[in-house]
Amino acid sequence: MKRLSVVSLALLYVIVGVQPVLAAVRSWEMDKAHSNFYFEVEHIYSKIRGQFNEYTGEVRFDPNNLAESKFLFKIETASVDTKIAKRDKHLQSADFFDAGKYPQMTFESTKITATGNGVYEVLGKFTVKGEEYQLRLPLKFSGVKDHPAVKGKEVVGFNGKVTIDRLAYKVGGGKFFDLGVVGKDVEIFVSIEALAEK
Amino acid sequence: MKWPLIAYFLIGTVVIVIAGALAIPFVYESQTLWYKLGSDKTVLRAGQLVGLLALASLLIQILLGARGSLLQETFGVVALMAWHKANGILLCCLAVLHVVLVLVPEGLANLPLGTKNWPEMVGGVLLLVIFSQAISSLFRQQIGFIYKQWRTVHRTLGYVALCLAAVHVLFVADSFAQGVPRRALLAILVTVFVVVLAVKFAPFMGKLRDKR
Repeated sequence: MKRLSVVSLALLYVIVGVQPVLAAVRSWEMDKAHSNFYFEVEHIYSKIRGQFNEYTGEVRFDPNNLAESKFLFKIETASVDTKIAKRDKHLQSADFFDAGKYPQMTFESTKITATGNGVYEVLGKFTVKGEEYQLRLPLKFSGVKDHPAVKGKEVVGFNGKVTIDRLAYKVGGGKFFDLGVVGKDVEIFVSIEALAEK
Repeated sequence: MKWPLIAYFLIGTVVIVIAGALAIPFVYESQTLWYKLGSDKTVLRAGQLVGLLALASLLIQILLGARGSLLQETFGVVALMAWHKANGILLCCLAVLHVVLVLVPEGLANLPLGTKNWPEMVGGVLLLVIFSQAISSLFRQQIGFIYKQWRTVHRTLGYVALCLAAVHVLFVADSFAQGVPRRALLAILVTVFVVVLAVKFAPFMGKLRDKR
């Protein structure tokens, strides 16, 4: 009986103790129809745009509790889409993403800092082709409001741009860059809408 | 064996068509080839050449199988049947080799699966049809296939294979997206279709003429 009381007290402590943290940072479910990870890269003179159609995301955000806020994105490399199936297949090959061997790219935030004007610098671990890198992703917090189309839900928005050197992440060995065909700088545009119960 | 002049004309036509087909990956290079370098480029081009040989072999196979009166009178039924069998085995080998050679440069862990790559998937179905045709023909008795049923299935699948091949080639490679290769292939396909129709309907037409 005494042991049961101790266990009950411990459970109560855990529940009461954790609750303020859970209540403080809201968890948002990504609206995949209105979110994406877009990219743009030079091809000789033109710019080729693409996106990743398959991904999962975890968004926990509270501007007043950045320490507990978190962004976690898992992107399926085989879902790369540039509107030309053969080019996508080439991007999935070992020449670029090597999707068969490395099916996912992930970004997991480790520190979020407000830099003013609604911009948050999200520092995180960016894992590409099995190797981990530090990446700073500036995200502009667009705000929170009642979802105009979904009753009882709120929507949060973030947009951010970052330019990375794909060769530094070993996305390509450089042969197409050396030939002057595919640029090395890739502009990444992250656009997120996420929903939560009011 | 002494063949009539028409035999040399027919063989010459086939040789010219095959030579023309083999020039396509060089003259009308696909964009996929542009982005392959070194040995990958060589292997992919070899795969395309083998694929075109397989297509030629399939077209010849259909004509040999149809056994029109011109072919029968020129070469004889026995020779046509022997060539049909040998060409079927060759076609199966070429089809397998084509698949291996075009897949290797892109990586075997990066297979073109899914609806996005539907022309390649059509090619996959075509390979299965060709393979099943070859196996069921070579081992018909061991499998226990009744001849009449086998013949019906074999003929039907032969025409299915031709349709699949047409769709696969016309949509899988941008060399055939427009211009001379597309027009030439369509012309050859229509010619084969007309020849097969003419051969198949010849007995009915003969009966109709007799009734009149």
